[in-house]
Amino acid sequence: MRPEPKVPAVALAAIRAPFLEAGAERVDPPILQPLGLLLELAGEALRARLFVVQSEGGEEACLRPDFTAAIARLHLASAAAEGRYYYEGTAFRAAPGGDRPEEFLQVGLEIYDQGGTPAAGADAEVAALAWRAAAAGGRKDLSLWLGDVALFGALIDSLGLAPVLAQRLRRAAARPRLLAAELARAGAEPEAPGSGALATRLAGLSETEAAALLEEVWALAGIEPVGGRGPAEIAQRLVRKAEAARTPALSPAQAEAIRAFLAIAAPLDQALEAVDEIGGEAPALSAALGGWAERVERLIRAGAPVERLMFAARLGHTFDYYDGLTFEVRSEALGPERPVAVGGRYDSLPARLGGAQTTRAVGAMVRPWRAYAGGEA
Amino acid sequence: MIEPLILAVPSKGRLKEQVEAWLADCRLDLAAAGGARGYTGALKGLPDVHVRLVSAGEIAEALDAGDVHLGVTGEDLLRERGGEVDQRVLLLRPLGFGRADLVVAVPKSWLDVDDMADLEEVAHDILARTGRRMRVATKYLVQTRAFFARHGVADYRIVESGGATEGAPAAGVAELVVDITTTGSTLAANGLKVLSDGVILKSQAQLMASLRASWTTAQLATAERFLRIVEARAAALQTASLVWPGGADGEVTRERLPLSEVAAAAAELTARRLGPVSSYRSDFVFQTDSPAFEALKVRIST
Repeated sequence: MRPEPKVPAVALAAIRAPFLEAGAERVDPPILQPLGLLLELAGEALRARLFVVQSEGGEEACLRPDFTAAIARLHLASAAAEGRYYYEGTAFRAAPGGDRPEEFLQVGLEIYDQGGTPAAGADAEVAALAWRAAAAGGRKDLSLWLGDVALFGALIDSLGLAPVLAQRLRRAAARPRLLAAELARAGAEPEAPGSGALATRLAGLSETEAAALLEEVWALAGIEPVGGRGPAEIAQRLVRKAEAARTPALSPAQAEAIRAFLAIAAPLDQALEAVDEIGGEAPALSAALGGWAERVERLIRAGAPVERLMFAARLGHTFDYYDGLTFEVRSEALGPERPVAVGGRYDSLPARLGGAQTTRAVGAMVRPWRAYAGGEA
Repeated sequence: MIEPLILAVPSKGRLKEQVEAWLADCRLDLAAAGGARGYTGALKGLPDVHVRLVSAGEIAEALDAGDVHLGVTGEDLLRERGGEVDQRVLLLRPLGFGRADLVVAVPKSWLDVDDMADLEEVAHDILARTGRRMRVATKYLVQTRAFFARHGVADYRIVESGGATEGAPAAGVAELVVDITTTGSTLAANGLKVLSDGVILKSQAQLMASLRASWTTAQLATAERFLRIVEARAAALQTASLVWPGGADGEVTRERLPLSEVAAAAAELTARRLGPVSSYRSDFVFQTDSPAFEALKVRIST
């Protein structure tokens, strides 16, 4: 395992200072986290980056790849409604074949609440905090990049697409390949009605009748059902699939709008103008953009750097659990692949871990060795 | 004595028998030291080759680590090593046996799922409906992960399987499997079907070389001799010589052709009143060049 060099104490204290001022409780979650739970939350793609450990006969565990899930578990175990947590510790990510550190220091803050106050307040606080901590490392080439996973959804809503297509596109947001395939299909002719005779028959039936018909088909074909999906579920999806096949693909103009949106990466004011232009008069996108005006104002009041605010439409889309604002502090020298700080809103994560549906969460993490001017090169 | 070239071959099962038959066919009969249960051996006619008999999975590992120079094992096992395996191990020759496909198989009762795009949607539905990810039973973690990522399938979990993977859906421990199949009949007997675009790898036994092993000039020379014999035997099996009286003063003409073209060429000659046409098979056909050795030499020297 390649460890990261130590950040000099003075520099580390400067990077840590904004977190100490945030009035948060210091927590120190376990280094060992349950492997199954982390893969359940983040998906199998994370497995290649994890150090997996297991004691004889014990449950499979992994070294924490970051603190987000670990602190979510602490918070939920405490049964508290709200919480502000500050952490500082080592995280571990495998980087085989490379020269990146695999054991590195992270400092961060996670805020949990029940939605009594506007989300924009906590969003701004956390993003500005990440900025101040990163900037305290002394680098002069930093910028604060913002993104918004919800904005893509608003764009899709504004295009007035058939529900099945809109759903597919929303899902594709975090999957570059799926999205590219969907965009490439733009202008394609839908299938002629009449395809899928079984689906056509199922479409007219009640759920019970459809399930019964499907079981009949299984019996006729000599199929012994295995696996966890029942007949009603499969019947429903057969109907939806036939419907999707008859739904027109994106028009070339719609595909162009999505492409143009995803390509946006510019200083914040210009970027938001570009989003506005793509959205035209669409109310869904205007509403989402309206929220941004307030968010920017709060950010600046909280200490974010006006002249170094950037916006990228794709930011954070590949992370499954972000669902609102996303941000990164990037250094020009380190490039977008090695951000100095990252964070965002992940309201759906607590519920997935068994927390209340109303629990909201937002957090930020800084890598001191990257923030430190004499550090990672 | 010079440093021997180390060749790893499977120590058990059907693959062992097939490799032994292949070596014997090349007149390189394998003699295990200490009888049939020995774990080292030698090749007849190539005294500078030291044979190690180990399990097929360990051969992939040993090639990857550079513990052996050459080895014969299934490509499926090599690909499971992960990372940029092509940087570490070179495939020299497919051997035409040990064929097996690594496939994605779902329950036949999933009438709505024909391809990976369907699977992606179903995975998402399962997560949305149950809050849990779809479970895939397999022992091929690396290839499953890469293949699913390529098809944009993200909402799934791997359940590691030690054996009898095909029974996992019926046992209720997974929804689908990624497994090796030769005829598909075991999958079908377990109520599973292969997705139309669900073939991850068409695998067979391959002769492979480790690029991480230390290669001396003498070991390279031994490898060249070995590879030339193997290639000469393969060329002999795939071709025949056609001989017919076609020269000016009763001299015969010879031409070497792939087996599949022999009959047509003979028919063409006899139609032109050239005959009789005879075809001969050879034991070995040594070419001046050796593609496998050239490839190895280039990769070793860089």
